[in-house]
Amino acid sequence: MGATPQETVLPRVGTAPRRLPRWLAAVIWFARKKPLGTAGAVVVLLMGVGAVGAEVLAPYDPLATNYAQMLRPPSVNHWLGTDTFGRDILSRIIYGSRTALLVGFGASFLGATVGGIIGVASAYFGGRVDLVVQRLIDMVMSFPIIVLALAVVAILGSGIVNLTLAIAIPFMPRIARVVRSSALAIRETPYIDAARAMGFGHGRIIFRHMLPNVVAPFLIMITAFVGQAILLEASLSFLGLGVVEPTPAWGLMLRGAAVEFAERAPWMAIFPGLAISAGVFGFNLFGDSLRDALDPKLRTG
Amino acid sequence: MKMKRVSVWMIALASMVIPAAMAAEQPKAGGTLTFAVAAEPASYDLHRETSFASIHPVAPHYSLLVKFNQWKYPEIEGDVAERWNISKDGLTYTFKIRKGIKFHDGSVLTAKDIKATYDKIIFPPKDVSSAREASYEMVKSVEAPDDQTLVFRLKWPAASLLANLASPWNPIYKADILAKDPHWYEKNIMGTGPFTFVEHVKGSHWVGKKNKDYFMKDRPYLDGFQAIFIRDTAARVATIRGGRALIEFRGFSPAARDDLVRAVGDKLKVQESPWLCVLTVTANTQKKPFGDARVRRALSLALDRWQGSEALSKISVVKSVGGVMRPGYEAYAATAAELAQLPGFGKDIDSSRKEARRLLKEAGIREGFEFTFKNRDVKEPYEIVGVWLIDQWRQVGLNAKHVIQETAAFTKDLRSGNFETGMDFACDFMDEPDLQLFKYVSSSKNPSNYAMYENPKLDELYEKQSRTQDPKARRAFVREFETIVVNEAFIVPTLWWHRINPHWAKVRGWNQVPSHYLNQDLRDVWLAEK
Amino acid sequence: MHRYIVKRFLLMIPTLLGVAVLVFLLMRVVPGDIVELRYTLEGTGVSDEFLAKERARLGLDKPIVQQFVEWMWGILRLDFGISMWTENPITEEIALRLHLSLQVAIMATLFATLLSVPLGVLAALKQDTWVDYAVRVFSIAGLAMPSFWLGILIILGLLIGFRWLPPMFFTPIWVDPWANLSQLIWPALAVGYRYSAVATRMTRSSMLEVLREDYVRTARAKGLWEQVVVVRHAMKNAMLPVITVLGLEFAFLVGGLVVTEQVFNLNGLGMLFVESIARRDYTMTQALVLLTGFTFIFVNFLVDLLYAWFDPRIRYG
Repeated sequence: MGATPQETVLPRVGTAPRRLPRWLAAVIWFARKKPLGTAGAVVVLLMGVGAVGAEVLAPYDPLATNYAQMLRPPSVNHWLGTDTFGRDILSRIIYGSRTALLVGFGASFLGATVGGIIGVASAYFGGRVDLVVQRLIDMVMSFPIIVLALAVVAILGSGIVNLTLAIAIPFMPRIARVVRSSALAIRETPYIDAARAMGFGHGRIIFRHMLPNVVAPFLIMITAFVGQAILLEASLSFLGLGVVEPTPAWGLMLRGAAVEFAERAPWMAIFPGLAISAGVFGFNLFGDSLRDALDPKLRTG
Repeated sequence: MKMKRVSVWMIALASMVIPAAMAAEQPKAGGTLTFAVAAEPASYDLHRETSFASIHPVAPHYSLLVKFNQWKYPEIEGDVAERWNISKDGLTYTFKIRKGIKFHDGSVLTAKDIKATYDKIIFPPKDVSSAREASYEMVKSVEAPDDQTLVFRLKWPAASLLANLASPWNPIYKADILAKDPHWYEKNIMGTGPFTFVEHVKGSHWVGKKNKDYFMKDRPYLDGFQAIFIRDTAARVATIRGGRALIEFRGFSPAARDDLVRAVGDKLKVQESPWLCVLTVTANTQKKPFGDARVRRALSLALDRWQGSEALSKISVVKSVGGVMRPGYEAYAATAAELAQLPGFGKDIDSSRKEARRLLKEAGIREGFEFTFKNRDVKEPYEIVGVWLIDQWRQVGLNAKHVIQETAAFTKDLRSGNFETGMDFACDFMDEPDLQLFKYVSSSKNPSNYAMYENPKLDELYEKQSRTQDPKARRAFVREFETIVVNEAFIVPTLWWHRINPHWAKVRGWNQVPSHYLNQDLRDVWLAEK
Repeated sequence: MHRYIVKRFLLMIPTLLGVAVLVFLLMRVVPGDIVELRYTLEGTGVSDEFLAKERARLGLDKPIVQQFVEWMWGILRLDFGISMWTENPITEEIALRLHLSLQVAIMATLFATLLSVPLGVLAALKQDTWVDYAVRVFSIAGLAMPSFWLGILIILGLLIGFRWLPPMFFTPIWVDPWANLSQLIWPALAVGYRYSAVATRMTRSSMLEVLREDYVRTARAKGLWEQVVVVRHAMKNAMLPVITVLGLEFAFLVGGLVVTEQVFNLNGLGMLFVESIARRDYTMTQALVLLTGFTFIFVNFLVDLLYAWFDPRIRYG
């Protein structure tokens, strides 16, 4: 029987609870279901706030040397102490989050995007192209990351941009592999055959039809990569191949003097190490939970 | 904090004073000395190598013609030479060689072996490289008229020859071996030194044993030595701290010294002295605007060397303010009064910086001018001094960008003129104007002058001071040379290094000298009870 | 099956060749000169003739193509040549360090396996409980901490806490097992912890996937005894990706422990790698890259075989 539209509308005032905006509801659901992931997200958020608002948040100029205040322990003036040049460690850590996020996201994004396209294209074209691309991927992957990073830095020079590139390169083959296997599965679907039958060009098929379907593993790998990129930056800077003085960067802060003065001024080594660990920790937890949430297979109940 | 620092210094001071009282102690024979080395020798042939890492494990196996007396540096004493005589015109040096010195394989050392050694160093055959060939240009010939006599004939008199013959880079090799294969010594050891060669486990350690037939009857005191190769600085310090090695012969940073003093306490002895190494700022005169001497001089005037000395000496090995000669080398270094006259070395930094700004303005350099400063990626002391330099230049309105490069790339850029300003350094094995001043000689004559700078007056002065026999006249030439160098500022010294050797007090018989290349034959070293 | 094996094996060759060409070119493109590095860093006044003589000794004055051909010809006969820095045969230099690197890699793998498999399975069985969270936090901490930081903390802890330092140079295990183990256990732990983190996560997610399978759910519904049997069976299936990860990471461990070796002062392949690159020792770097490349490609090959054996679909794909 037909009912007039007005009869099906529930009375609003005083009876139904006010609905939360959808995104907030999603966040709360996520926080309840995945407390670890939320903790991770909070850390990531803190890093982001630090990176964006560094000028406002940092009490000192991270480059300002002060030879009268060298190697001071944490105090009211310098919450995390000072380093060998008298620079405030807290300020350097806050600014350092900017370097970490820039390099982390930059390398992760660049590596994942280029790698993703290569992986999908390789899967799509198949045959000889796939074979050759697979060999190229193997080749790059069998190169130790150190060698690649060193080559990039030695040829192009050091600095944030080149470091980002140096870290992005080892990611490309790894993502290409994973994306390729997802894409291979999709390639065989009638969906793609239909598109081809309709005469769509290769590029269009790859970008409009195949890529969107590999977005989920792609996003997940990006979050995982950011953590790894931050660690790689730390290791490379530690070896002297990464960001250089006097740029504030967590890995750089651990280099040399921090180890030398580890007994006399342990705050120099502890805080940047904690910052790195916390950052990578946060990204990994967040990424994990994101994957658990997005992947329908792994949902409980 | 302050109390702690005072007591640390007291211990360090005490540990320097007490050994003087103990100097009268009797050396004891026995024991094996374990020491740490930061790197491994590339080849064993010291005629060819230039790194300290080659000397520290290799030197104990060899003897020199003459050597520096470690207690009375820079006095020279005979090693295989018993005595010597220099002719009045300074063109003939005659050495009497001791009898009865044996190589480790039992054969007897004669003047022929020494002649063969020096022929290899001074007149190397075509496929043999001798790194210090240029230092011996004044030698016309080396002769061995009989088994115990060696004669050097010179083309012109040179004040530096005797000291150059005491060079640690000239171990005596066996003539027969050199005749058969001049490359043999690159991979093998056969000398007349206080220790015989036992083994070299690559990447790990090096072992030597007491030479029972050493020509000094009661030496060496030690039964043997062991050198451990430890690349990482922190690991090296930890090794000494844990007692697995007793000493390291190059030098540690002040932080390491303080750590060791605090951890090892009165079982530790710290020897400190000025070091024969200096960091310089090199400006590429081929690149605008560094072709203008005013700009270069301004770069030097901006540096508050005295404040830098105070601050940086706490966190790195640089310390002393000096000119082209090592401060403390009385014979030829500038006195405090002479230093104060040189632009950039005075104590009134404000007027220096004012002068710097004036010069820059005159040369047309505007405020905030940007340029690059290339540096090695070694933290201590290169990067540390680099950060300080950038900071100092900021004080006169110069915006320098610190470009830190991997050593290989940096070296290439510096040598090929691909830089605007850069950090350079020089370490020598002895105080000798011929060695320290050579760095500043015109680029066409001197491949290690990376500033691409020509100045015939400087070259002339160099020659003059090298050939003078009169110390007073020589000193005047050196001063004139220095004044020109500092004013032209194409390569200008920043700070001289400070050598710090903390070691276990039971290591006796090793006295620190200003160079880490000298005094490494370990002949007089002995181990006390504690 | 045989055809598959042969095909995969043959594909290894062009990959290796590609690696060889790439590293050769890369080394020559990167600026720097071994002769300059060796002699001009500390010595002033070393003449250009001296440097030219040394370059000629190393064959660096020959045209690039000739250098490449001579080198490749040597490689094909398994003659890796001599190191440009020490002039010792490369096989000798590598053999010296191989023992140590292999041992650390094996010890780290053992530690990682013993730790990760039980933890990962446990976490999977108790998903979303505090046990799961604890395991995940523990393993992510292993991933998050910079390994050199952990190494520094370990050494400092030993030194300050126990006043004891591990031996500073290497003795093979059959010569002096105590000295050998007391040196290598620490880096093995530091590396193994990190390694186990990866494996734990893999085990956990792999187990989770397998546990979703229908046959597992059915067995669960049937009762406890069945569940235990099924879990064991499920584990077997879950192990495959874990073994893959362990295998690939192992391949990486043998030459890749650069920073750890630096911190613990180990005379291993990672250290050799970094040194030879810093010195622009072309022949040594090329040989090492070929070695690690070969290890990686070979392990991949074995893993592919393993997968093909387990999953027939792949063999004929």
